Amino acid sequence: MDNPIFELQDAHFSYLGRYPALRGIDITVCQGEQIAVIGANGCGKSTLLHILDGLIFPERGSFKAFGKELKEDAFNRADFSRDFRKKVGLVFQNPDVQLFCPTVKEDIIFGPLQLGVEKGEIQRRLEALVGVLNIGDLLDRPPQQLSIGEKRKVAIASTLIIEPDILLLDEPTAGLDPQTTRCIIDLLIQANESGKTIITSTHDLHIVEEISDTVYVFSPEKKIIKSGCPHEILADEQLLRDNNLLHIHSHRHRDKSHIHPHTHLEHHS
Amino acid sequence: MSKRNNFIRRSLMGVLSFLKESVFADEYAAKKGFLQSLDPRIKIITFILFILAILFTQSMAGSLYLYAVCLILAYLSRVSIGFFLKRTWIFIPLFSLFIAIPALFSVFSPGEPLLSLNMAGVQLIITRPGLWGAALFVTRVIASVSFAVLLSLTTKHFVLLKVLRILGIPQIFVMTMGMCYRYIYLFVEMIENTYTAVKSRSGVNIHYPRGQRVVAWNIAYLWVRSCQLNEEVYKAMLSRGYSGEPAVLNDFKAKPKDWLWLSAVLAMFAVNRLAEIWGIYG
Ligand SMILES: Nc1ncnc2c1ncn2[C@@H]1O[C@H](COP(=O)(O)OP(=O)(O)OP(=O)(O)O)[C@@H](O)[C@H]1O
Ligand SMILES: [Mg+2]
Repeated sequence: MDNPIFELQDAHFSYLGRYPALRGIDITVCQGEQIAVIGANGCGKSTLLHILDGLIFPERGSFKAFGKELKEDAFNRADFSRDFRKKVGLVFQNPDVQLFCPTVKEDIIFGPLQLGVEKGEIQRRLEALVGVLNIGDLLDRPPQQLSIGEKRKVAIASTLIIEPDILLLDEPTAGLDPQTTRCIIDLLIQANESGKTIITSTHDLHIVEEISDTVYVFSPEKKIIKSGCPHEILADEQLLRDNNLLHIHSHRHRDKSHIHPHTHLEHHS
Repeated sequence: MSKRNNFIRRSLMGVLSFLKESVFADEYAAKKGFLQSLDPRIKIITFILFILAILFTQSMAGSLYLYAVCLILAYLSRVSIGFFLKRTWIFIPLFSLFIAIPALFSVFSPGEPLLSLNMAGVQLIITRPGLWGAALFVTRVIASVSFAVLLSLTTKHFVLLKVLRILGIPQIFVMTMGMCYRYIYLFVEMIENTYTAVKSRSGVNIHYPRGQRVVAWNIAYLWVRSCQLNEEVYKAMLSRGYSGEPAVLNDFKAKPKDWLWLSAVLAMFAVNRLAEIWGIYG
């Protein structure tokens, strides 16, 4: 368990040098861990996942992957790049960005094809995933014509087919119906049981407990304000309220309406 | 006020739906006809042969014969002939304007005068060789355009792109084409959605100047959005192992029928050339 895969120390990042997105993040991720990253909109969750996927690099602070400092020029070496991309997979928050091929099928097999996976193997993985996610009917359609939920399923498939050891997921269940959400969570749990490391960003407090054993809470100041086990974090109402993570619902009881915040955890089975 | 605004909206929506229908429709490609059943690689090669045959043909009979072959193929592939003729003849005025009409006249094609026109003091004479040449030209253009249109109608867009890649067209070219296609669609949708959103927020009667601003804003927004998308899409490609040269999966399989078709077209091509050389068409 204590075999660190990613180590971020005091990482800073800003877009175009002007829009700060992370202000001093420390995270250590070990092999086989399940991590959830929660926080309000714009607090830097996606930025963090892009750093972990080696797409952008911290301006300040250090980022070590697999025990070595990761720099942009490392990716100029074809063997390193291929190895890293095989090991780490990211599901983007916006599926429109992730799906760029003319058909769903081509999009799904894009990753393994680039990474030199053998044809028969690609076909086998494709069939397995199509069965699990129930997307057989979509294969020949252009991705831009799917519904948002369908797009997300295809995007998830296009990353899972690479069979990475480390899965980064940016709000994987946003816009999915309950049954599909269930199916994705089961997939993640299964993947974790088989030894994969899973890092998920989400707003959905329902799923946090199932998909994580460590939760990091981001504050609007784009820092990690607290981390701990899901029980502890979800019980801290003040913390959740301060970070825009609590639903405030208005209910009507007979003729009186009243407003009270709750976390929805009571519906959770 | 609202009439003019309606006009903008209607014409914009009209253009969008025309674009969607004509560029993105693949209803004919999905039908079960003769051309749809061929291996796309062989189909494309045979269509290139047809178009070459037309380019080599110097006779009216030869081009008419090839045009007839094209129409028969369209019929066998369940393409509605009326629709097909409309689709292809639409190109003719464009070509004739620039090439065929000047060729009609004596300046470019000297010969026996058929008709003389006096326009704005300039004497224009239509000559017999000129007319014949123009007719031949139009026939050849219509035949080759018809083959090109028939190919694109009966082949799914992505298959066409894939075959181009497999036949060795540089990937940067094919990839760019494919992406343009995909994002044009996304943008068409985005403009439509923005319009619906504006309408739902402000009611049907948008003030005209505001309507104009919405259009301008849209264009600026799309520009920024497309730059951003490019960058993000590039990241998404990198993330899945793209390293400058995307691999394509060649999963086409040629059946005996395809080879038969290829040999038939080759034979036809040869016969056509020989007939041309021996002057059978006259
Ligand atoms: N391309 C960009 N250009 C400029 N600023 C950006 C860009 N992308 C993100 N930002 C800024 O960086 C900050 C963090 O963004 P990020 O996308 O990481 O947030 P997030 O936590 O994923 O939010 P959400 O929950 O809405 O997905 C935000 O303040 C945002 O405005
Ligand atoms: Mg995000």
